[in-house]
Amino acid sequence: MSNFRTLQSANKRKTFLLLAVMGALVWVVVFAALTYAGQSTAGIVPIAVGLALISVWGSYYASDSLVLRMTGARQIVESDNPKLFAVIQEVLIASGLPMPKVAVVEDSAPNAFATGRNPEHAVIAFTTGLLDVMERDELQGVIAHELSHVANRDTLVSAVAATTAGAIAILSDFIMRMMWFGGRRDRESNSNPLLLIFSLLVLILAPIASVLLKSAISRKRESLADATAVQFTRNPTGLRKALEVLAADSTVVQQRSNAVAHIWIESPLDGGNISRLFATHPPIQERIETLRAMESLS
Amino acid sequence: MKTILVVVALLVLLALIFVAQYNRLVRLNVSVDEAFAQIEVQLKRRADLIPNLVEVVKGYAAHEKDTFEKVVNARAKATTAITVADVAAADGAMTQALRGLLAVAEGYPDLKASANFLSLQDELSGTENKVSFARQFYNDNVRSLNTVVKTIPTSFFAPLAKVSAREFYEVEDPASRQAPTVKF
Repeated sequence: MSNFRTLQSANKRKTFLLLAVMGALVWVVVFAALTYAGQSTAGIVPIAVGLALISVWGSYYASDSLVLRMTGARQIVESDNPKLFAVIQEVLIASGLPMPKVAVVEDSAPNAFATGRNPEHAVIAFTTGLLDVMERDELQGVIAHELSHVANRDTLVSAVAATTAGAIAILSDFIMRMMWFGGRRDRESNSNPLLLIFSLLVLILAPIASVLLKSAISRKRESLADATAVQFTRNPTGLRKALEVLAADSTVVQQRSNAVAHIWIESPLDGGNISRLFATHPPIQERIETLRAMESLS
Repeated sequence: MKTILVVVALLVLLALIFVAQYNRLVRLNVSVDEAFAQIEVQLKRRADLIPNLVEVVKGYAAHEKDTFEKVVNARAKATTAITVADVAAADGAMTQALRGLLAVAEGYPDLKASANFLSLQDELSGTENKVSFARQFYNDNVRSLNTVVKTIPTSFFAPLAKVSAREFYEVEDPASRQAPTVKF
């Protein structure tokens, strides 16, 4: 049996381990690239990392305004929905976080998300469908889950994961293209043929492995947010009921871009046919069971 | 030359670790203070609702003097409390007194139906929620501070940073404290 504290530390530990594995993977890929294409190509390593950094960190820094635009969310103020703001204020007191921007997405599918580079620039958004169907305690659970993402700095964590995965992808892509056009540069190298085959395999498999690791990190952050939500509300029942509502509802948010699929509380992509390993969220039934186990503790 | 460099590097590393742990203790201690201030803010909000609530109930049940007196006394005590234990005790007394006041209201259907009373009751229950979340946040902060103060290596730095374990905010609730009486 595990309470929210043990779940929190377990998920934090696993995220750390996964990020460490990703870091190690970068080194293995760099090693493979240099073995396969020769030391003369060492210059592409900073280029790949630089490209990944530029492409990810711009969107990380401006995530609040960017995601609002990509999802078509409209920012609201307290007078637009006093009841929603009352529940948000309760959870803010429980979490000690500053007031985030609050936004609404016109969509009948119930869903919600949070983003922003730090708690001072956080945004939490809800679809109109979610606000229509959720009871007060369910809404409190959803708000606590979203504010947990803010408190746990999950935008930062996923930016780090995306940068690492991006650098690995760019690096393997470079080497593969170089081979396609020019072959290996220093054929005189006295490398061990086994080592060359190993390097080639690494270059082919690493991008897939990095995507798997990135998805695994995303799943751990979702479980962590569920556990932290219970820390804030001390009421696993609310979030559990909310997830059951989301699980029972088969409609999916009409999102404009798949790039932001991972930020919603219920993934708009992970429907049935996607492999568990690539899913950005743990199966919703599993999340419900974990919360149910916490309910039986109290 | 080399050994000097190694020694210097180690000293710098130790200094950095010391600064990090010291600052962590101070930060946690400050966050406990902030959390306590948050409780007081919410208690103040609740106290500010009381005169109105008493007036409204008086309009329908003027003779329930005892109940009113308890509420007014509890409010007076709450405004003078400073230490954690005192504030918590006053908070408990106030919660009790308010419970009594609402119980009195139960006996007056006209009062219960009045719009004034309903909106006050609504606001009161919202404030009660906020008070209880503020207490919980304070206790969460005390918990993490006390863990850090009592565990190695931060326990060594705690006296230097003049940070010590803090008191939990425990509201005495006679209703839940009473042992169940068994009668045959």
